[in-house]
Amino acid sequence: MMQKTKVKNSAKKPSRVKAAVEVLKLIMKHKKGLFGLTILIVFVLIAIFADVISPHSPDELGLADRFAVPIWFKNFPQYKDLPENLAVHVGAAEWNFKNTIPSQIQVKKESSGWIIFKVKPEEAVSKTVVQLEYDFEYPYSPPRRFEGNIPYKVTINGEPGSYAKILFYIVTPEGKSYLIYDSRSIAYNKTMIDPPARFDARDIALKLRLGFADYEDIGEKIFSEKGTYKLKLEIIIVSVPRSTITVAIGPLYFRIPGLAYGLLGTDNLGADLFANLIYGTRVSLLVGILASVISVSIGLVVGIVAGYKGGIVDQILTFFTDTLLFMPVIPLLIAVSVYVGKNLYLTISLIALLSWMGFARNCRAFVMSLRERLFVEAAKAVGASDTYIIFRHILPQLTPLIYITLVLNVPGAILLEAALSFLNLGDPSVPSWGRMLYNARYSGAFFKLMWWWIIPPGIMITLLAMSFILIGQTLDEVFNPKLKARR
Amino acid sequence: MARYLAKRAVDRLLVLFTALTLQFLLLRVLPYYVMGIDPSFFFMNPNLTNEQRELIRKTFGLDEPLPQQFVKYVLSLFTGNMGYSFYTRRPVVSELMERLPNTIILLGTSTILVIILGLAIGLLVAMKRGTKIDTAVVSTSVFLNSFPSFFLGLLLLLFLGYYFRLFPTAGTVSRPVPKDPVRYIADYLWHLTLPLLTQIIIGVGGYALFIRSLFITQLGEDYIVTARAKGVDERKIMTKHVLRNVLPPIITTIALALPGIVSGAVITETIFSWYGVGRWLFEASLQFDYPVVQAVLFISVVLTVISLYIADIVIAIVDPRVRLR
Repeated sequence: MMQKTKVKNSAKKPSRVKAAVEVLKLIMKHKKGLFGLTILIVFVLIAIFADVISPHSPDELGLADRFAVPIWFKNFPQYKDLPENLAVHVGAAEWNFKNTIPSQIQVKKESSGWIIFKVKPEEAVSKTVVQLEYDFEYPYSPPRRFEGNIPYKVTINGEPGSYAKILFYIVTPEGKSYLIYDSRSIAYNKTMIDPPARFDARDIALKLRLGFADYEDIGEKIFSEKGTYKLKLEIIIVSVPRSTITVAIGPLYFRIPGLAYGLLGTDNLGADLFANLIYGTRVSLLVGILASVISVSIGLVVGIVAGYKGGIVDQILTFFTDTLLFMPVIPLLIAVSVYVGKNLYLTISLIALLSWMGFARNCRAFVMSLRERLFVEAAKAVGASDTYIIFRHILPQLTPLIYITLVLNVPGAILLEAALSFLNLGDPSVPSWGRMLYNARYSGAFFKLMWWWIIPPGIMITLLAMSFILIGQTLDEVFNPKLKARR
Repeated sequence: MARYLAKRAVDRLLVLFTALTLQFLLLRVLPYYVMGIDPSFFFMNPNLTNEQRELIRKTFGLDEPLPQQFVKYVLSLFTGNMGYSFYTRRPVVSELMERLPNTIILLGTSTILVIILGLAIGLLVAMKRGTKIDTAVVSTSVFLNSFPSFFLGLLLLLFLGYYFRLFPTAGTVSRPVPKDPVRYIADYLWHLTLPLLTQIIIGVGGYALFIRSLFITQLGEDYIVTARAKGVDERKIMTKHVLRNVLPPIITTIALALPGIVSGAVITETIFSWYGVGRWLFEASLQFDYPVVQAVLFISVVLTVISLYIADIVIAIVDPRVRLR
């Protein structure tokens, strides 16, 4: 069949680009090919512009609460009130001063958001409480948790006896106040800027101090209703004479991680699943194409050498090919991946090394039939070298077969890589689709029926693999017109 | 004929030995020398003293250099000794026997069903080439070919297992195990459904497509056209001409599917926690339990060799041209 489609290369050699465009045009004439090519182009564009399409990288954790649902779920009534990410930075400009501060304390508000309270050595204050408040609207159903931080710095010089204390409360609309952060009395120099003082609703000590059980989500208890909540900061300053005390309070950061986030929600670590899906395209394309190129190269070399040389070389190569064909590919791949799988390129090589045999056999059979043909005989008679004959006469004849196999080997490699990653035998640093399904399985996404996590990667794998199969079949029909008549 | 078969036998034995060597290279030599992985590191309690470690290594024969281990391994295979699992310290063969029935039931049923359904669908479609059924089947097959097998299992698990709660999500039988044999079988079949369905759906598309193209290629050959022109009965064309040429590749594919009945379907068994050989292989691989991994791979290769040899014999009987080669 192959011989009938004489490749024009040997005649006058139009440029390779032109030939490629020609082939593309032929593919596009077929409905199947056009469909496959369109899907593939979309995937390639997704892979190239992954950073643009997805606002976050899949490595960023804690973008929202864990197991958040997609944000478009909020269109449905039962998810309408789900909390979205809510974060506030409360700096000097935002705090409301609730009480009058004694004149001994100098207050300085900086444009960076810091507030500095200072008592000079010649002054003295007995226990003074400075109250700062910030109101914000909480319009959602109860969240699971909240978190945040306050940077501050306390500097004390001179006589002992001065101290400061910083307390952070959340006050509910009903007026109930919860003490979230307590710095304890600070009678020495203390810097909590980098890292700042943190508070987190998951902190068990905090839960117990507030009178909750250690398994309860206190975010849910405190933000149990919609309304205006207050963030309250109390700064207690005591200063004895002949000592300087400076309390600097940085902008407070308060955050309620959302339970609805992004196009596909978040995973068990709060990473964006949509980002994982988009970046997974790169991995699959890379694996598919690279593995296919390597396996076709090996198959080509083995096939040509075996088919052209014949004799003992052929026997040895064929024997080796057959032996590999006898091995169970998937079990072997799994057993070897356990120790080489943590590197993406080793996985690719492994897949390629276990999938070149079929092409080598086809190639060998074809080269053997070519070797007997008159034009090879003639070239030999003129005294052409083996390399010349192979490159000039045999390889051009093989071109269609090479292209078809190149395309048709891709889906297998993509599916194998996905399966390996799904079994957690892939590169853990690579956000592949198989890995996404592995994470889903082992963090309870099935039990939680999170279909938006499980179904998209599978669809992506299927579409990508299918695009290559469709293009490959079209190529097959284009290059082997006899086959087309038969279909 | 006898000479042909004898030559084939020698060839296949050589293949078997080479495969064995290759497996040893990939599983023992490569990790040990290149990646620096010592399998004994993973199964020994880190609190053991060096003397105790040496003793354990000695009981498994791990103290000897690898080439010597290989020779011992090959020799012991002749006596049917597959070694002992590093973890359970039980003979690999007896552990295999525990899991084998489950795998044979799952894979045996699915393989047979795939072959029957694939043949039926492929043949039907080849006859009705160009009709709507043909297009539907071909496009479904293309879709199934690009469908990741594990994803199909996951979908069945998600919808039938977790959402509708029609089938169990894991295991081979319920706990506690039903005492009544009838209920035991019913429970077993209930657990079998999802993995079986997965295996069949994955297999049938590709096989039907293969059968279809096989028949279509034959039906387009010149000798069929000639026979038709001569006015030979369609049925006779099928049985006398087409079948004869189609049979050898079909036999070969069946022979290639048989070893899988024993070595199992690693991914499907893992997804459904099926207590079979495939899952065992996966778990053993993760633990570097090499006696187990090597045994399963070895059995798989041996069975491939044997079933392909049987296929050779059958093909030689069916197709006289082969004998003359």
